[in-house]
Amino acid sequence: MGIKEILKSELKHARELRYLEINFKPELCQGVWQCYEVCPVGKWQPNYESRKVLLLDEPTCIACGACVLQCPQGAISLEI
Amino acid sequence: MATVFMKWLETRPGSFERGIKILTLGRIERVRKQIAREFVQPGYNVLDIGCGTGQLTILMAACGAQVTAIDVSGRMLEEAQANIEVTDLVERITLHQLDVTQLGQALEGEKYDLITCSLVLSELRPETRAFTLRTARTLLKPTGRLIIVDEVVPEGLVRRVLYWLVRAPLALLTWLVTRTSTNPLQTLDSLIKDAGLTQTLCEDYLGGSLLLLGVGQTPISVPDQNTLADYPRLEHRVTLKTILLDFASYLFRIIPPYTKVKTGLYRIGNPGLHSAVLVTGNYDLTVRRLVKQIDRKLDCWLVVADSHGINVWCAAGGGHFTAEAVISAMNTCGIDQVVDHHALILPQLCANGVDGWKVRRETGWGVHWGPIRASDIPDYLAAGRKKTEGMRHVRFQLPSRLEMTTVMLVFYGLFAALLGIIFWRPFVWTILALMIVISYIYGAALPWIPGRDGLEKGAALSMLTILGLWTWSFGWERLPPLNLFNWSLGLGFLAFFIGAEFQGMSPQMRGEQSNWIVEGLVGLAVLLLYGAGRVLFGGG
Repeated sequence: MGIKEILKSELKHARELRYLEINFKPELCQGVWQCYEVCPVGKWQPNYESRKVLLLDEPTCIACGACVLQCPQGAISLEI
Repeated sequence: MATVFMKWLETRPGSFERGIKILTLGRIERVRKQIAREFVQPGYNVLDIGCGTGQLTILMAACGAQVTAIDVSGRMLEEAQANIEVTDLVERITLHQLDVTQLGQALEGEKYDLITCSLVLSELRPETRAFTLRTARTLLKPTGRLIIVDEVVPEGLVRRVLYWLVRAPLALLTWLVTRTSTNPLQTLDSLIKDAGLTQTLCEDYLGGSLLLLGVGQTPISVPDQNTLADYPRLEHRVTLKTILLDFASYLFRIIPPYTKVKTGLYRIGNPGLHSAVLVTGNYDLTVRRLVKQIDRKLDCWLVVADSHGINVWCAAGGGHFTAEAVISAMNTCGIDQVVDHHALILPQLCANGVDGWKVRRETGWGVHWGPIRASDIPDYLAAGRKKTEGMRHVRFQLPSRLEMTTVMLVFYGLFAALLGIIFWRPFVWTILALMIVISYIYGAALPWIPGRDGLEKGAALSMLTILGLWTWSFGWERLPPLNLFNWSLGLGFLAFFIGAEFQGMSPQMRGEQSNWIVEGLVGLAVLLLYGAGRVLFGGG
């Protein structure tokens, strides 16, 4: 891969980072609460009745990726 | 509130397990797994008091322990026997039909590493409870541990009201069917103390109505002194050296090389067998700041894992602090030899890089995400590894903002000074002074500057700076048009650059790299305007 391609992919990556948003599939959630345990900005709230976590509608997400990595069900992803 | 139904369920062992699972919202299953994972080690001699249908017994035997399980109900034991026979653990489990009051005589002379007492105490009369705990104490090895899982009346008025509201109908129903009831525990603390035991761990579930307690015979059991000497003690001290180090790391935070701490196991205070195990990265400043917050407040073990000399959050985000680093540190540091539990506390902010499930799988330790700030660790541990909402959230308050402003200023200040000396020697001090003033104002006023990210806030800061410049020029010392134009361009860009770059110093780092592209483009535009200005205003 030439320098040009590397630069291009880096630019693309940087641009994408800016617009990342959480994509949550509640049907996969098993109520493990790991996302709630690790989120540093309070985007997740456990709902003990439905046994599924709630994704709060607040613009606080910093796209750190902690919830994505810790969800054992793969119910969370960061997408543009 | 689970146990109120148990009397009824016990009359029908077949549905007992299902009933308990429903009543504890499935919690009991996870609590059992946690006990097996964190407190059982291969070769342990374990006593399970009130084994019921043997679920916990089987889990513990599967971890390599030799388990003696007792229950008063013959039908329950039949069910347990059937459950055990379908596993390959028959050799590791001995069942006895015993009442807790017969425990002492029946098992006299036996000593156990671990005794579990799950959903038993609340079914007993108060005097029998005390007797059970005293007997358990005589059956524990000196370093052994008693784990109690039981129903309690939660603390706090709201929780209590909720609890009784849910419990009352269940209790009535149970009483109608079986003419018995259970007594949730209220006075565990004094019971434990009276039995000559010390509580070392406490966790609660289900709105505080289900409690897991770890109880030991002695307050702190210290391993062999020779072994201890292998693990250096970290202390918080203030000496000339630490002051200079703090000062240097304050100023040159983001300029390599980063000072590293040797990875491995360290002592903080006088940790013992039951003490908490914390993990952190190997950046010198991280370790010193952590120790400063917890030394003299806690006795605990600290595992320093390789984070390439970078702070926990950045290292995890950048792929330098990983599950592999934690696993490797855990496997090589010798922590298994000095504690009797398997509960690991990782910093919450490494969760974006350290895969907790991989650590759980490969070390067999339970992973708990600690608080964000080290200063919250003592409260977090005292509350039984419970985080308040405040402990979970990253804040970027004034002291942190000013600190990061300084860190950024030193880095870019050196660049600016170099450029200034080469190109604009007469103005170098003015430029540096303005840079410092703009940066600190920005750092202090960050939350109130409009814009949702560094670029927008930088643009706003740029406008404010130019406005300030013009006010000064028209109000105090009028500049020639070309000079005013050039200063506006220069300072405007400087302010924009500071605003955009400060994003990388803040928790809101996302997309920070793309700021560089915009900064470059804006820089080019400014250069073009600078050229255009010369033409417009006729040379200069």
